[in-house]
Formats: sequence, C-alpha cells, structure tokens
Amino acid sequence: MSASVVDAPKRRRLGSRIAPAAFLLPFLIPFLLIFIGPIGYAVVQSLQKVERVAGLFGTPTTVWAGFAQYQRALSDSDFVASIMRVLLFGVIQVPVMMGIALLVALLLDTQSARLKRFHRLAVFAPYGIPGVVAALMWGFLYDPRLSPIVSGLEAVGLHPDFLGTDHILWSIANVVTWTYAGYNMIIIYAALQALPSDILEAASIDGARPLRLAFHIKVPLIAPALVLTAVFSIIGTLQLFTEPEVLKTITTTITSTYTPTMASYSAASANDYSYAAALSVLIAGVSFVLSFGFLRFTTRWNGTS
Amino acid sequence: MAKIRRSVALAAVLTGAIALASCSSGTSTTTSSDSASSCAPAGGKVDLTFWNWGTGMDKAVDLWNEKNPDIHVDLKTVPNGNAGTYQNLFNGLKAGTAPDIAPIEYDTVASFRLVNGLKDISGCADVGTSASKFVDWTWSQVSEGKNVFAVPQDIGPLGLYYRKDIFDKYGLAAPTTWQEYYDDAVKLKAADPSYEITHFSQTDPNWFTGLLWQNSAKLFGTQGDKWQVSIDSPQAQEVAAYWQKMIDQKLVSTDLQGFSEALSKAWDTDKVLTWVSAPWGWSTIRDGAPDTSGKWAVAPIPQWKAGDTANGNWGGSSTAVMATSKHPYEAAKFLLWLNSDPEAVAILIKETGIYPASKAGADDSALTSGVEFYGGQKIFDTFKTAAAQVNNDFTWGPTMTDTYRFMADGIANALAGKGTLQDTLKDAQAKTIDSIKAQGLQVVN
Repeated sequence: MSASVVDAPKRRRLGSRIAPAAFLLPFLIPFLLIFIGPIGYAVVQSLQKVERVAGLFGTPTTVWAGFAQYQRALSDSDFVASIMRVLLFGVIQVPVMMGIALLVALLLDTQSARLKRFHRLAVFAPYGIPGVVAALMWGFLYDPRLSPIVSGLEAVGLHPDFLGTDHILWSIANVVTWTYAGYNMIIIYAALQALPSDILEAASIDGARPLRLAFHIKVPLIAPALVLTAVFSIIGTLQLFTEPEVLKTITTTITSTYTPTMASYSAASANDYSYAAALSVLIAGVSFVLSFGFLRFTTRWNGTS
Repeated sequence: MAKIRRSVALAAVLTGAIALASCSSGTSTTTSSDSASSCAPAGGKVDLTFWNWGTGMDKAVDLWNEKNPDIHVDLKTVPNGNAGTYQNLFNGLKAGTAPDIAPIEYDTVASFRLVNGLKDISGCADVGTSASKFVDWTWSQVSEGKNVFAVPQDIGPLGLYYRKDIFDKYGLAAPTTWQEYYDDAVKLKAADPSYEITHFSQTDPNWFTGLLWQNSAKLFGTQGDKWQVSIDSPQAQEVAAYWQKMIDQKLVSTDLQGFSEALSKAWDTDKVLTWVSAPWGWSTIRDGAPDTSGKWAVAPIPQWKAGDTANGNWGGSSTAVMATSKHPYEAAKFLLWLNSDPEAVAILIKETGIYPASKAGADDSALTSGVEFYGGQKIFDTFKTAAAQVNNDFTWGPTMTDTYRFMADGIANALAGKGTLQDTLKDAQAKTIDSIKAQGLQVVN
C-alpha cells in the first residue's frame, strides 16, 4: 500500500471534522463565554468560602470549602421551605394553567369559532406585558385599600384577603396563570393547526362529534406539544421570582426567601456569593431533575417524546 | 412558559456571576489604616468624580467648582444606595472604576469597610480636627479610634408626627411615654374602630432599629478583633414585646408598607394617625396626604421612662472617599466644605431637603421657621433637640444587608400571626451570627 492511498482518506476525514466545527464556532464561542462560563464559575464559586485574617474587618481570602455551602443550604430551613412552597405552587398552578390553555386552544381550533384572530390575540396579550408590570397591576387590584375590585366585593358582603398569608401564594398563581396561559395556548394551538386534516376528516366521517374529536383524536395527537409546555412550566415554577418580588413591596406576607430564586438573590445582594452560587446550582439541579424526570415519565407513559 | 421570568432570574444569576468574578480575588486589598498619614495634596488641577442620589446636589457642586477652579467635581446622579448603587460601588471598587466620592448611609459604612472600600481620611486636610462641627453621635458612626472613614452629611433623629386635630377632638395630648401612646391607641380605637395609631411596616426594619436604638439596645459590639452580636438583648426585647402587644390587640395596621400609595391614602383619609419618624419625614406626609394640611403636629418621641430624653436615629448618610480614589486630600477637602460650610449646608437643606449633621447647620433659617403644612409649627426645633439626645454608642454590624433582611422576614411573620417580634430578634440574632461567620469574621457569642 502506498502512503498516499492511506493518507488521502485520513486527510479528508480530518477536514470533514474541522469544517463543521469551524461553522459552529460563531455559536460555540459566545455559548461558552456567556452561558457555560458563568455556570461553570458559579459551580466553582459554590465550592468556596471566604476566610479573613487579622483585624475586625480583616483581609479576605477565598479558599476551597468542599460541599460546605451545599450542606449549609440543605440545612437552611428557609431555603428548604421555599422549595416546598414552589413545588406546592407548581402542583396546583401548572395543571390549572395547562387546562385553561388547552381548552382555549381547542375552542379556537373548532370550525365554528368566531373572531379567531381577535380571541387568540386577546388570550395571548398578557404575555406581551412585562412580568413586573403585570405584578404591579395585579398588586393594585389585590390591595384592599386601593382596589376597586375588593371594594366592589365588600359592597356585596365578601371580604377577600388576596394579600393575606393564606392566599398570597394563590394570588401569585393567578398572576402567573394570567400571564402564561396565552403563551402555552399559542404553542398548543400551533400543534393543533399542524394536525393532518385527513385524520380529522376521517374521524368526522366516522361520526365523531366535536367533543369526542377533541379529546380522543386531537389531544392524543398533540401530546408532544403538551409535554413541551408542561416542561417549560415546571422550569418556570422553580424559577418563580418577579411576581413575588414585586408583590413583596405591597404586602407584608412575602419574605426574602419566599421562593428559591429569591433566596439566592438575597444571598448575592448580601455579598454572600459562594452561598448564592450554591443555591443557584441547587435550583438548576432540581429544575433539571424535575423536567427531565417528567419527560422520561411521559415518554414511558404514552410513547411520546 | 416562563420566558420573562427566566430572563429575570438569569439576569440575577448573571449579575451574581459578574460580581463573583470581580469579588473573588480579594487577596490583594490593603488595610486602609496604612494610608492614614500619607494624605498629601496632588498639586495642580484635580478632577473628582462624585456619585450621588437625591436632587439638588448640583447647586452645591456648582458653587464649589466656581470657588475652586483647581479641584473640579463631576457630579453623576445614581439610584439610591440600596436600589443598586451600593452594588455598583462594590463592583467598582474591585474593578478600580469606583468614583472618588459617594454617599454611604451610616448603617452601611461597616459593610464597605468589610471590603476595605473606604479611605481613612483622618490625615487629610482638617478632617482629624473637625469632629466637633458635627452632631456628636455621627462622628462615632464614621470613625474608629483615630481613623475616619467618612464625613457625616445628614441625620434622622426621631420625633412623633401626630394628627393634632383628632387627638384634640378626643381630649388627648401628645403622648410623652410609650405607655401613654398605648393608652391613646386604645382610646382612639374605642372612639372609632377605623382608627389605627400607626402602621407597623415590614419593609422598614431600619425604622424598628431606630426604636431599639432609643431604648439603648446595642445591636452589635466589638471585643478586640471579634464581633459581638446582641440583637436579642433585654432592651430590644422590651421594645419588641411592646409592639407585639400592639399588633396582637390590632391597634396598629399590619398590612401597610412604608412609603406606599396605600399608606398615603390611609393618612389622607384619617385612618392612620401617627408616625414615629425623622425630620426628613415631614415632606413624606405633606406629599402623600395633601388633604390633611394643617392637621399634623410634631412632638418629641415618647419615652420608656417618664422624664427621660433618650432618642434613636432612622436614616441619614455620610459621604466617603472611596479606597480607589487617587486624590483623597482634595476629595476630603471638598467633603468637609460640602457638609460643614454654612453656605453649602444651606444649599443642601434648601435644595436636597436634608436635615444636616452639621451642628451649625441646624440653625439655618430654613430650619428655624414655621412649616405651613404643620399649622405653622416650628417642627425642626423638636428635631434639633432630638438630635442631641441620640444615643452615642450605637454600632452597626458588618453584614447589615443580611441583618435587615432577617429582621424584615421575622417582622413579616409576626404581622402575619406566624410568629412574634420577640422571635424575630432571636432569629435575627442567630442568623446574623451565621452570616458574619460566613464572611470569615470572628464572633464572640
């Protein structure tokens, strides 16, 4: 065998490896720099702690601490309580929101729906409003001393306490549902639009009425879209931040560690960076386990992916 | 689903990461006491950068620049400290981009010293001999031994704003003791159930701290190189128990945050009748409750023992030379002028609405005349007396952001009936000790 015969395919193979990598660079470099880099740094930071030598204020040095920050986090009852709180939130809020999104999408998808575009826009519009603004607006509607809704309800003998300890979590859930139901609806609606018309026609010809058509033909077919939106929602639930952070300024019932992300944010604003990093990594870990677990579960359950 | 929410959280994480990047290599910081004696004029023309929040400071800076062509001050307006500027300053100190001068509230001075962020200016210009120009307790807030880390600017000694018309209507005089204040709360509630003597806010733990300060509670102390945490002291518990009783008996409103629209409305509609607050609070009521013009008055803060004259402080700030400044001499010279020159202080009072830490400043004509909104009462006379009665030896901790947070969380639980203010002090004590230790500092408790 001559050398050239051996070398030529090798070179080609090498070239064919470099080319895609080169094309990927414009994506990879910023991806590494602004995504993987900070995450990696957070992981590194979470394994450190500050030590000081000499003096009341001392000179700080950063040293390795192993998993000390994680131990601290897991024995921090406030942080654990915040995780349990958002899990409870998610168990109730996600199904409710998904149910609303699915119902609206199915209604819009029926042939007889009128003013489709208007309704689609109307349901989707809240998503276009920044979360901070939405929370401020709802906060105004909840505030017993300012709200026209509360005074209206009080006029008919009801005394809602939207900002009270027992209800605040569900008041937040309401804001979140209001904001994101439309967003989920759009994804589900798009999946419905993409269903092959011959299947639906066949079902109609076989005598399936709209309701049966919806729940026995359409819903199973768009299961992947439902799973996708559910995963988004689970991740979003764990990262609950804007709404409680904004409502915190008008109600006395939200603490600085009300949600896991708020706990991490609080630690960071108190210059406790290693602890904040450990909390962030834990939140990311739980999000990953829950969303991935949900995907695996639904894949086994009905064969969708 | 949560695209917006995710991006907010991501932004928070990123900010954290950037701050981490800039704060992790804190090994090379020098102790500021080294530079105490080496504060010499630069010679030649100097440019100083000055970050400040609040309006009207430009008038004072303009006057300085006019009078001092060789030391030019560039003013940049920034959000208030806790709204982001402190974080920017912490980052800027590490990156070397911090301004020469910035306002630092008294309760945050220790946090900046924790990162060696403030220049010791005791050897600069006349700083070392200027203590007597300022209200006594303010100097101990900005200095340690001979070292001086900032120049006091304004203060917030406490007084009682109250609805004189309504107190008069029920034959009540301004309460002079906390017992009388409680009795008045009960009487007013009985007269009209919609009355609340005051609001207990969760978002102003520094207000509660001022009340503890009045009762000689020292939240922190030091023993050599070690910190002592005494948030859960008998004096503090006495204050906590008192207000817990008010909360339990529903004599104070528990759903109103400080400085909120809802609070303004409650003032304006005669629901909330008093506010223990500082001299700067006069305009807060005026702007929030315009319909009550002429109906408010100011009295000295109620005392724990009849005849006492103890007081605490809420708010106020100092101005400091940042450790990264290359011109501490000129910066300190400007700061002394800004905060003690009669002309400069008069501008600050008039334009920025501060109540000065300068002793002479309290006699400025703007502070000795009657205030229309308060029925012409010379309300600042009360605060001038109060300023001299503030306890001298109150010390802030090195992780006040955390301490305030723990207090606010505990207060939130107490207001929601899930705990008490007494518990709040216990929790804040334990958690603050942890937080100081987490910063690598030593605690004797």
